[in-house]
Amino acid sequence: MAKGTTVRMWRRTIFVLMVLIVLGFGSLVVSLFRLQIVEGEELQTRAVNQQTQDTTLTAKRGTIYDRNMKVLATSADVYKVVLDPNYVRKELEQGQERDGIQEEIAQGLGEILDMDPADILALLEKQTYYAVAKTKVETDVKDQILEFKTKLELGNAIQLQPDYKRYYPYGSFASAVLGFTNSENQGVTGVEASYNDYLSGVAGKLVTAKNAKGSDMPFQYEQRIEAQDGYSLVLTIDEVVQHFLEKSVEEAAADCGARNRACGIVMNVNTGEILAMTVKGDYDPNDPYTITDPADLAVINAIPDDEEHQEERSQAIRTAQEKQWRNKCISDTYNPGSVFKMLTASMGIEEGLVTESTQFYCGGSYQVADRNISCWKTAGHGTETFAQGLCNSCNPVFMQLSEMLGANTFYRYFEAFGMTQKTGIDLIGESNSIYYNAEGLGPTELATSSFGQSFRVTPIQMITAAAAVANGGYLVQPHVVSKVIDQEGNIVETIDTSVKRQVISEETSARVSAILQEAATTGSAKNGYVAGYRVAGKTGTSEKIDEWNAEGREGEKKYIASYCGYAPAEDPEIIMLVFFDEPLPQNGQVFGSAIAGPPFAETMAEILPYLGIEPKYTEEELSKLDISTPGVVGLTKEDAQVKISNASLTYKVYGEGEKVVSQIPEQGKSIPKGGTVVLYTDEASTSQTVAVPQLTGLSLSQVNSRAAEAGLNISVSGAALASGNAVSESQDIAEGTQVPPGTVVTVNFVDLEDVH
Amino acid sequence: MARTDAGVLQGGAPAGQEKEKAKRKKPSVIKRVRKKFRVFSIRAGMDLPLFFLILVLLTIGLVMMFSASYPYAYYYMDGDSYYFIRNQAIFAVLGVAIMVAVSYFDYHHLHKFAIPLLIVTYIFLVMMLVLKDTSLVPNIKGAYRWLYIGPINFQPSEVAKFALILVFSHLISLNFDKMSTFRYGVLPYVLILGSVALLVVLEKHMSATLIILMLGAVMMFVGGVRLRWFGIAMAVLAAAAVYLLAFTDVFSYAMNRVYGWLDPFNPPEGVDTWQTRQSLMSIGSGGLLGLGLGQSRQKYLYLPEPQNDFIFAIVCEELGFIGALIIIVLFAMLVWRGVVVSLKAKDKFGMLLGVGLTFQIGLQVVLNIMVITNTIPNTGISLPFFSYGGTSLVMLLAEMGVVLSISRNSAIEKL
Repeated sequence: MAKGTTVRMWRRTIFVLMVLIVLGFGSLVVSLFRLQIVEGEELQTRAVNQQTQDTTLTAKRGTIYDRNMKVLATSADVYKVVLDPNYVRKELEQGQERDGIQEEIAQGLGEILDMDPADILALLEKQTYYAVAKTKVETDVKDQILEFKTKLELGNAIQLQPDYKRYYPYGSFASAVLGFTNSENQGVTGVEASYNDYLSGVAGKLVTAKNAKGSDMPFQYEQRIEAQDGYSLVLTIDEVVQHFLEKSVEEAAADCGARNRACGIVMNVNTGEILAMTVKGDYDPNDPYTITDPADLAVINAIPDDEEHQEERSQAIRTAQEKQWRNKCISDTYNPGSVFKMLTASMGIEEGLVTESTQFYCGGSYQVADRNISCWKTAGHGTETFAQGLCNSCNPVFMQLSEMLGANTFYRYFEAFGMTQKTGIDLIGESNSIYYNAEGLGPTELATSSFGQSFRVTPIQMITAAAAVANGGYLVQPHVVSKVIDQEGNIVETIDTSVKRQVISEETSARVSAILQEAATTGSAKNGYVAGYRVAGKTGTSEKIDEWNAEGREGEKKYIASYCGYAPAEDPEIIMLVFFDEPLPQNGQVFGSAIAGPPFAETMAEILPYLGIEPKYTEEELSKLDISTPGVVGLTKEDAQVKISNASLTYKVYGEGEKVVSQIPEQGKSIPKGGTVVLYTDEASTSQTVAVPQLTGLSLSQVNSRAAEAGLNISVSGAALASGNAVSESQDIAEGTQVPPGTVVTVNFVDLEDVH
Repeated sequence: MARTDAGVLQGGAPAGQEKEKAKRKKPSVIKRVRKKFRVFSIRAGMDLPLFFLILVLLTIGLVMMFSASYPYAYYYMDGDSYYFIRNQAIFAVLGVAIMVAVSYFDYHHLHKFAIPLLIVTYIFLVMMLVLKDTSLVPNIKGAYRWLYIGPINFQPSEVAKFALILVFSHLISLNFDKMSTFRYGVLPYVLILGSVALLVVLEKHMSATLIILMLGAVMMFVGGVRLRWFGIAMAVLAAAAVYLLAFTDVFSYAMNRVYGWLDPFNPPEGVDTWQTRQSLMSIGSGGLLGLGLGQSRQKYLYLPEPQNDFIFAIVCEELGFIGALIIIVLFAMLVWRGVVVSLKAKDKFGMLLGVGLTFQIGLQVVLNIMVITNTIPNTGISLPFFSYGGTSLVMLLAEMGVVLSISRNSAIEKL
């Protein structure tokens, strides 16, 4: 052992060995356990984040159709232009030694994309391999970029990723229902928002592994999750009905100068399907950020566009945008006014407290508690039946009825008619109503509530409740989507009629409808009369009393003019509500009937025949009915005269010829019975013109005679057919315009008497 | 005897007896041949467990080096993914041949080489300082570790480690009886160790300095230097640390690097912890079972030079905790076996030489993995058998040849 290892060496060696194995190797195992098992997941996440590049594969957003499969919103292919600054720097500038390549790209791309080259240069200087230069680039621009890329041999420097852009082929049409999408293809309002999950589909994902230089790995390491395209919607909206409603509401809103926008809803009373819904003072969903309202624009433009006022200005723009996006039909609450009387009347009849013939007295006002609340007709209606009271829209009758009902019963029906709950329409942004509950309904509140003041509901709530009065008492849930379909057209989901409850009996419903039909024919609501159809309707002129009170009961009292009616009264199918917010007073007064009645009647007259509801004319109506002009061109003067006389029309001959060479109105055009057909017998005579006379502010007979004098024809719209007191309110061809004789001038009539 | 019994049972009695005779003769022939050619026979002489542990680790090392270097070579060697493995494989074959050859070489001849090698080491180390910043000794990341002579490049510090182990073994075995004296037991070693370490420090090669100091300490400790001298050394080191801390700004200068080490994912400004971060992410990505051989993602240029010092991070990523554990255990077994073989050496020189060389591997493994796991700050230490580098692999295998040579002469039971 002298030569070999001593015991001490042996001991010391083993000691060092133990230290190395236990402390050294042991600590390695502990460290690896900590890093790989305990913190493994966290570290792995970090690693995966740097190793992979996620590219979103955009799902194609579903189409929105009307009920007849007409396309209202669709998605078209566009492209996202993405730059790879790292690639440009490393591969092109350094790798291929192409100095100034960044500037070249910035210049060329700037021209194609209509961007400032300096902005593109800034993107190219970023330390990244993914910089979005522009989104939603159309196909023609894409082709230009591809050409540019090939010409300059740019490789992967510019990438074009497929994306979609939303198109609304009819512009602002039905924008309140459709809504719009933001730049991320997500719905912001309307069905685009409420059905966003169905429409948007599921975005796919392309995960590609990247090495640290940012280029793809040489080996295929790619995970592709295909995008699942969105479902399409079939709306309950009918493009034709929507078109008529929009036209009428827009015209009427312009005529009455509604300062806080106007809206209209057409609904199927039995199913709750919304056939049309419009808000005027809306926007183009293709370009939703542009302010359309001239008044709002004026406010914005009054703010100087400088640094100092930046915040104020953008705030004004935001407010205006939010206003135009707001769907007034569901988001704004209002005092429904006299329209609500159809509900109060239903309560009275359902409870058996009144019948059509129950006698009431109106002395022009009615004392409730310490307040004397007046009727709109301050002279009073005198003694009248309940039915007459409803036709006259007499407030004291309804105050008395509400006393008979009492707060509890009134509130029970109020609740049952859905006035306290959102309707649950499949659109976002529905507001809650504001109301007194049973305890809060003191005598004054109850009395004013009976004629639709002192609480606020949304138009959609009102029309849904009115539909219950019409359809036999059933409160249905309104909806704008009828079904969700997939790309192949298979039905994914159907939105069925949902009846919440029966509020009143079918008998009550029929009896109230009968009174309302009377109201729409001879009563206060007669501006809503539609020839050939039994329409039941009620007008409303509600005071914006809350706002007036808030302003200290000073200044201008503002009103809302509305009309709610349905047809045919005997078997209601279609209900419609139009609503004009803050119309300009005429002669210091606002009459809901005069403002809201004509657009209601106009729309109903157009849509009822379209929807296949046959008109049934009374004899009186038939006598005033328009006649289709017979065709007489090519006939001899004598034959033509006979043919025209046989059609209950008169004629006027111009020219010296023997044969008729042209006629006005042309064949098939409707003119009133007894109207004039102008016959031209030679070409020279056709150049004659006459001046259109003033045709407003006159009775029907005055208008007819003036027109006849001038050799013009009249087409009548509005209340003239139902009432002898109607006054012409507007003419479609302005006074003084030179037109060929025989031209048809449409004149609208309103009845200002006995309407509220 | 078992065979004989079997023969008896199988054959009849007379035939069995004949066979028995023949068989009794046969082993004796083999034994004689073995005895005669003992020196030249692998099976006869060297420790097979040690030999196979080396081969197993070398094989795993080559496979992992290939996997780790594949993308790096693809990107930086003009698409030649086999660049590194081709070189390494050639050197591995050469190295194994040299190892086996060295194992036949009687290590006692190394006594004669001890002092000359130390002198050569000094020459090399001084050369490094004289030639620094020339093409022979380029500045790589602020340090001067590599010497480029024609086609060969190597780290003189590697030579220094071997020279130190050899010289200490040589001196201690000769002066073993005087180890308790200061003049023979402490002074020569402190002077040699101090001077070599100082020269390596001047190369700015901290990790090699650390290993050299630790190896020197181990050799002195095992060789029998009195414990009090270690106490004194500790006290001197502590005093130096206190001095540096209190009177110089060395530590405040290094403070940012310390913060970077403590929290590599949120390093202070100006401290680059990219390599450490990538290493940790690689290790973590492996989890329990790993991503599979060849499946590392971090080797795609995230982890810089994955074939060098940080190769074990890729091993952890591909083979997981289990795989890494197996490799660590194999290394531990190698160290254990090397020490056991050395302890049974016939003489103190062999014993000290074997222990020194084995500990060198053990220390390198521990410090390397401590770096990749960020247990200690990042410093350049390669992983034996794994890291890329032809010259150092050949040197490593030659050193293993010395240990195997010692095993031939050791009293350990041969398998």
